[in-house]
Amino acid sequence: MHAVKIAHSMKRPRLASLVVAVAGLGLAGCDNGGGDPSKQVGANPPLPALQQFLVPPIKVAKVVAWGQETPTVPAGLQVHAFATGFEHPRSLYTLPNGDVLVVESNGPKAPIYRPKDIVQSWVTWYAGATAEGGNRITLLRDTNGDGVPELRTVFLDRLNSPFGVALVGHDLYVANTDGIVRYPYQDGQTSISAPGTKLTDLPGGPIDHHWTKSMVASPDGSKLYVGVGSNSNITENGIGAEYERAAIWEVDRASGAHRIFASGLRNPTGLAWEPVTGKLWAVVNERDEIGPDLVPDYLTSVRDGAFYGWPYSYYGQHLDPRVQPQRPDLVATAIPPDYALSSHVAPLGVAMYAGTNLPPSYHGGAFVSEHGSWDRTPLNGYKVVFVPFSGGRPSGPAQDVVTGFLDASNQARGRPVGLAVDRSGALLVADDLGDTVWRVSSNGSPTASNN
Amino acid sequence: MTTDSTSTSPDRMDLTVGRQAILPLLVAFSIACFAGALVTDIVYWQTVAVTWETFSIWLITAGLILAGFAVIAFVIDFVRGKRGRTLALPYAVGYALAVLLSLINAFVHSRDGYTAVVPTGLTLSALTIIILLIGAWVGSVYRYRIGASI
Repeated sequence: MHAVKIAHSMKRPRLASLVVAVAGLGLAGCDNGGGDPSKQVGANPPLPALQQFLVPPIKVAKVVAWGQETPTVPAGLQVHAFATGFEHPRSLYTLPNGDVLVVESNGPKAPIYRPKDIVQSWVTWYAGATAEGGNRITLLRDTNGDGVPELRTVFLDRLNSPFGVALVGHDLYVANTDGIVRYPYQDGQTSISAPGTKLTDLPGGPIDHHWTKSMVASPDGSKLYVGVGSNSNITENGIGAEYERAAIWEVDRASGAHRIFASGLRNPTGLAWEPVTGKLWAVVNERDEIGPDLVPDYLTSVRDGAFYGWPYSYYGQHLDPRVQPQRPDLVATAIPPDYALSSHVAPLGVAMYAGTNLPPSYHGGAFVSEHGSWDRTPLNGYKVVFVPFSGGRPSGPAQDVVTGFLDASNQARGRPVGLAVDRSGALLVADDLGDTVWRVSSNGSPTASNN
Repeated sequence: MTTDSTSTSPDRMDLTVGRQAILPLLVAFSIACFAGALVTDIVYWQTVAVTWETFSIWLITAGLILAGFAVIAFVIDFVRGKRGRTLALPYAVGYALAVLLSLINAFVHSRDGYTAVVPTGLTLSALTIIILLIGAWVGSVYRYRIGASI
């Protein structure tokens, strides 16, 4: 699909920009594709000039089934389906005894506020992103480590768009879209029927544009860190709808009280502790509709009290003219993130690799799942990448690890979301389009596919 | 069954009466929507309250839907060889331009945030109304002269 562009300039005479707009209608065939995404991976990515569109460039991947196919992994690794038949699996969590929790979830129905929302609901439906979520957590137990679960049970049911899970001692926390609920958990338990206790509310409806609430517990177990996404692309629902959103909350586990740990993070969808420095890292989805190469999504360490720009600016202090009134006082404090992943890849999961099963080149780095997005042409993301770390910092370009979610004709067979490392050190990848959990392990480690 | 176009059966007469009434009604309502959008755009520009931008995009959309029905009514009239006498040529040209601008404006107003209105959306809303006013003024002079020459 091609787009019509109006060069953005506040200084351009209005009549002239109108002429450009009318002329632009006749140029609907012009190419508006983005550049080479690999140039925008790493620190200090090049940022092109901001563009505004009549029709933002989008490309929706048609949905096809995996059939007998699997994703593709580099030499030295193997991949197979750990379990299939889920209802929109979004995130994964490994319990201390090795049991794997699969959170099956999707967001609440998006409200129709503008005619555009009707069009967007068609796009998300066509992309297969509106599938009903299970609103439950399924437990998988693979006792002998062969990559085939012997036990599969419904662990927790009747949740409200859950996403993050964290276990501290015998307290299991589930981050629903509207609050954190605590459940009692005994070692080896395969199903929880006890009622939960609410620890705190989280910003939920009625709009709930970015609904996922990623969550990790601090290493000492005293705090929970929760990624709360913005309630809009770029404040089109009003700044009032953004109260305490686009931020990472620090929730006190004892009292449920919270403070804003860091802000200006548009949609922090994945959190992880970097093992060398003990710092909190996050993957963040940046804003749309100002160009195929703006704004790069990113992986960053999260500094206490820091402001990362959203909505007023991006990548430090690049102003976004779509936000009024501006806040120069806040923008002056905005800091750029550490590591760009390139634009519109939609990172939805991050896992710092502390296992030993995978080859040594993967030790100590970060796996990032890139869900892919329709807000760019050509498509970008739809894969799991590895960012090498050294001394607690990214130390090189991202490498493709799990690919093949798009087939040769750019049809989507799956979309990677949540990541987890299982007890054996294999990487688990939730695929919310293929309704599968994939398991990536070293060649030679026991799996069912060796049979 | 007769297909004589000069039939004056009662139902055919009813249709004719309806046709004469519906086209100017649709045109007038769509113009009211576009004018309303200019007002809500100005209020948004002054208040930066999102509600007014939402009013604007729905008003423009409603105006375009009504304009679409007006075009259908006009085409039916035209095909039947019964060109409506309600729209003088300058009105029609001005209206067509206004609808085209409003179509572009609907896309501009579908952007997110401030630039959905300021400056391009607001400019297009104002131009739409200015063109309609010019069309109305030229049309009134045109009709007066035609009327005077008869």
